[in-house]
Amino acid sequence: MSVSLQQHLQRCRKVVYDMNFTYVDAWRQQHPQGKVVGCFPVYIPREVIHAAGMLPVGIYGGGLEIEIDRADARVQSFICSISRSTLELGMSHYLKNFDAMYFTSVCDVARNLSGVWERNFPSVLVEYIHFPQNMESKSSVPYYSGEMRGLCQNLERIGNVTITDEQLRHSIQVYNENRALHRQLTTFKQENPGKLDASELYLLQRAGACLPVEEHTAMLREVLDELPRREGKRRDRIRVVLEGAFCEQPPLELIEIIEEAGCDIVASDFALGLMWFLEDVPVQGNPLENLARSYLTQSDYSSVRHYGLKRRDYSLVEKVRRVKADGVLFCIAKFCEPALIDYVTHKNTLEREGIPLVNFEFEEKMGVFENIRMQVETFAESILLFA
Amino acid sequence: MAFTAGIDIGTRMTKTLIYNTDSKEIVAAVIDLTGHNLGAAAQRTFDAALAKAGLKAADIGYVATTGYGRYQVEFRNIQITEISCHSKGALKLFPKTQSVLDVGAQNSRAMRVAPNGRVTSFRMNEKCASGAGRFIERVAGALEIELDQFGPMSLKAANPQEISSVCAVLAESEVINHVTEGQEIEDILMGANNAVSDRIVALLRQVKVEPEVTLTGGVAKNAGMVKALENRLELSLNVSELSEYAGALGACVFASERLAKMGQRVAA
Repeated sequence: MSVSLQQHLQRCRKVVYDMNFTYVDAWRQQHPQGKVVGCFPVYIPREVIHAAGMLPVGIYGGGLEIEIDRADARVQSFICSISRSTLELGMSHYLKNFDAMYFTSVCDVARNLSGVWERNFPSVLVEYIHFPQNMESKSSVPYYSGEMRGLCQNLERIGNVTITDEQLRHSIQVYNENRALHRQLTTFKQENPGKLDASELYLLQRAGACLPVEEHTAMLREVLDELPRREGKRRDRIRVVLEGAFCEQPPLELIEIIEEAGCDIVASDFALGLMWFLEDVPVQGNPLENLARSYLTQSDYSSVRHYGLKRRDYSLVEKVRRVKADGVLFCIAKFCEPALIDYVTHKNTLEREGIPLVNFEFEEKMGVFENIRMQVETFAESILLFA
Repeated sequence: MAFTAGIDIGTRMTKTLIYNTDSKEIVAAVIDLTGHNLGAAAQRTFDAALAKAGLKAADIGYVATTGYGRYQVEFRNIQITEISCHSKGALKLFPKTQSVLDVGAQNSRAMRVAPNGRVTSFRMNEKCASGAGRFIERVAGALEIELDQFGPMSLKAANPQEISSVCAVLAESEVINHVTEGQEIEDILMGANNAVSDRIVALLRQVKVEPEVTLTGGVAKNAGMVKALENRLELSLNVSELSEYAGALGACVFASERLAKMGQRVAA
């Protein structure tokens, strides 16, 4: 019997905010020899972990669920909340069942966090993935596929397994399927904003960072089957694109308030790291080279990935036009340098193109949203009632 | 014939208007105490307004809500801030309005408004209700007089008493002091009007006073307050019997504009 949409949403909420990672414990019981790999945002090539028979789990900080106690003794107060609370998760033993932690070259804080992790958790395999910075060099594919080969070797060592090309191809296929369903879900939201709240879409997608990919794929299929039959809310709202270079996650209430205040979020980058590629990664051929080539040529634009052939601000304008948005909300985590640096370019370009925008900052532990509500409501009114 | 509804769920009173978008006239107006269940107050006044107009819910093409309970109405099409709605409502009542003072039970706001209803500047009172109707209510309560008697009685004041407290709660004890000193009730009432009007005028000065000035919100029914404000501003205020409904009226007008736009979109 299929599970209802409401039950799926409840399950997603439970999983996303479960800082005791009971779903990881459940997976380990079913896979006694299995290893669990924590993935710090934004993007991790999960196919590599999956091919090793291991469980990749997104670590998005502690949100409102935990108090920062031990981590503040090791990192400054002027870095982003996600880094502090992720370290707290480690120091307070919430991640005791994790065998490895992956970090990437998204920013200085993430880079240093990988070092802090290595020093404080010597029994855990810590990987710091250097993504290629040059998207056009002929050396980038061999370089990045070599990086991933190194990841495979370390996983083979800790898991006492062998990762074959065939397993990698299978994992690429499994993740292609999952990403395609993510894309279908976001398209559904764009076409039927009243039938799926942005906060619901957020939960459905973010659960994909926690659950085994096959389970998440099956869930998305059921959800997509049920959604068209759902009755929509009749709200008169503006359509917005929400940008935040995610990484640190906003409280769910913030997403709810944005929509409540008069904005249908018809496109966002909340699930950027889980969708990442604009098209399927080729399955045939050398799997690691395929992943590397897709990273260079098929990645979505992002503040944490070096410029490809196309500027990010132009990609944003294209997105606004494609989804027929009335404006852009910049929802940026406090102290997030990549997002704040890009904001300047984005703002200038949007203004030049005559696309309205508003900007506000958030923190994962934020509890009062009245100022943001007022900003968003005023922004929506200015477009809806007077444009 | 198309109709819209504007529902203003205030902290004390909920106001619902039904508006004929063709004749641009109000066809029904209902006001009731808000109580603790904001959504229920909206539903109750909406149903009563429909009955008064002889309409069904399906006849209403668009529902706009405003006021502090605006998010609690499940059947709304849109919620709009009080700032926008009161400005729009004031312009509908007095088309030459350039400044708006909205004094409700819990909040006071001063707005500058462009001829199309766009708010160009606004200020609100601080978190407490010392510059709003709740202050007047507490004084009325302390003196055991009905709220609707407050205005007429205060106009008879010969020697208004000073009420210096900026806090509505502490003002009560100040009022009691005046009573024990044997001051006339009318003078104390006018003193309360003066105290509140001082704070409201300060808000208006921050957005720059530009006549015509229209007063909206429930406090507009207090003639003593109107006089106190006019004395301080040295101009006469626009006040209408519908001033208390200005937020709901603005919501109705916005709703009819949105309905017309949506109709154009469908036609296109």
